[in-house]
Amino acid sequence: MTVRALQQISTGRNGVGSFILQCKKMDFHYCDWAGSSKGMNGFIKSLLPKFAASNTQVEFAVSPRPSKHPVIIAQYINGREKAICVRNMEPYEILKKAELLRDANGEKNRRVTKPVQSINESVRGVWSPYHGNGLKV
Amino acid sequence: MKRLRIDRWTGQLLLARSGASPASTPRAAALRSAALSRCTAVRSQSTGTVRQIPKEDDYYDGTDHTRFPPLEQLPPKATSLPSPPPERALQSAKLAALHARLSLPERLPLQTLARALVDASADENPQFNNTNLAFVGQSLINYHVAEWIMCRYPRLPMGILYAAMKGYAGPTSLHHVARSWGVEHAAVPGGEVDPGLLQFSMHKPGDAIIGFGYRRAEADGMKKHKWRHGMSSRVVFDDDFGEVVDSEEAKDELQLRADTEYGNEYTRSLAEKAFATCARAVTGAIYAHAGRDRAKAFIKSHVLSRTLDLSRLFAFKKPTRELSMLCAREDFEPPVARLLSETGRLSRTPVYVVGIFSGKDKLGEAAGASLEHARTKAAMNALKSWYLYSPGEGVRVPSDVLAEDAAPWEPAYIDMGEIIGH
Repeated sequence: MTVRALQQISTGRNGVGSFILQCKKMDFHYCDWAGSSKGMNGFIKSLLPKFAASNTQVEFAVSPRPSKHPVIIAQYINGREKAICVRNMEPYEILKKAELLRDANGEKNRRVTKPVQSINESVRGVWSPYHGNGLKV
Repeated sequence: MKRLRIDRWTGQLLLARSGASPASTPRAAALRSAALSRCTAVRSQSTGTVRQIPKEDDYYDGTDHTRFPPLEQLPPKATSLPSPPPERALQSAKLAALHARLSLPERLPLQTLARALVDASADENPQFNNTNLAFVGQSLINYHVAEWIMCRYPRLPMGILYAAMKGYAGPTSLHHVARSWGVEHAAVPGGEVDPGLLQFSMHKPGDAIIGFGYRRAEADGMKKHKWRHGMSSRVVFDDDFGEVVDSEEAKDELQLRADTEYGNEYTRSLAEKAFATCARAVTGAIYAHAGRDRAKAFIKSHVLSRTLDLSRLFAFKKPTRELSMLCAREDFEPPVARLLSETGRLSRTPVYVVGIFSGKDKLGEAAGASLEHARTKAAMNALKSWYLYSPGEGVRVPSDVLAEDAAPWEPAYIDMGEIIGH
């Protein structure tokens, strides 16, 4: 008759205790010949070394993709990946896109209607109709 | 998918094979000598003293290397090793990214982090796998979790304490922790894979002992006939989570099935174990290189910061009787259930709110669809509020005293124990 135990698993919340950047890998693809890669080539030469050095949590890979538009592909911890085609963009526009991908959490874009989501118990508790003074009809 | 490589088979296998088929004697003899030379090859653990191993016949996998040059120049004999050589850790981008992502201390070298990613099932040599680190990490994690739970919730019964320990530091939780770090695993372990990938074998379990606990002689009978094993014997014999240490025979049947099926219970448990061992090994590596305080902070931020609702761990059988025994033990007045309010007694969905009182103190309260249901729930709530007593969030734990210029230890609250039924 003593109390028995049920098994539960603890759930983690990123940012509580420690923060893990969700973007784990970024691939930069360019083409040496095509004009749409002009900005990407400039980005790789001028801005990417600094960007990569300031984001050591992310694995960077640069590889050619001949006869194709330049693209940034980011892989996330949740297993998804996001790709942005950066054809005809200036290097600083590409940097903006790279930062966007770095800061994303990898989930599908969805509209956030409630700004705070929590798994913590409500402080006030759930309203109960059976408590309090009630309403005299 | 890697193809079969005969030069990686064990020498024993090749010997048996050559005896069975006399037709292939010259080839078998050559393979045997290759296997023997591999067994005698010496691996060096530090990057400074890499031994130049004489280059023998290179392994050729059919790739046209002039068209597809290798991305990374592998050291000689790398493909014949069970796990990547330590000197390759410095070239792995994945490993460096993982190091930075976890904000690991500078003093923890990449070679150690690479070693923490090699499971005992991938490389049996304890100098190259993560068994030792994982044992340290497991001891540390379990110690810190246990002391934190015991100081924070001093009245938890032993069974609930074990369940809470497992909820925080059990293999499943640590598996989730390692996954949330973005640790990826290699399809098949080997010397040529990226050192930043977790390496374990899906087909054979490693013989690593990472945990305390004895193998009970009566373990099979306990499983088959459901023999009773009390809490006291669990404390003595079983592992840190009060669970019976499995015998080897129990795994054999599942292991046989693992080679024929894809993704069965056994392979899943192997993967879970490998990820959990990796998380423990990283903790152990932090302790080894950066010290006690960093390891404690790491455990606090990655394991103890997770959320576990302890009130969902309780399963009561006779809560009303247990509550009355508690009141008798603590010299409270006997508990009385009183109806606080009700609605729609004659309707299809009546609701009764019942409170349990001891004298003038209300111990618990619950709403239910019948009087009996509400009373039982109220008793459960009263018992939970007793068991889940907590001195507060910022409670001190014994290891806080080990920090520099810490205040002397004041004894923590120790409860007299759970309610024992007859």
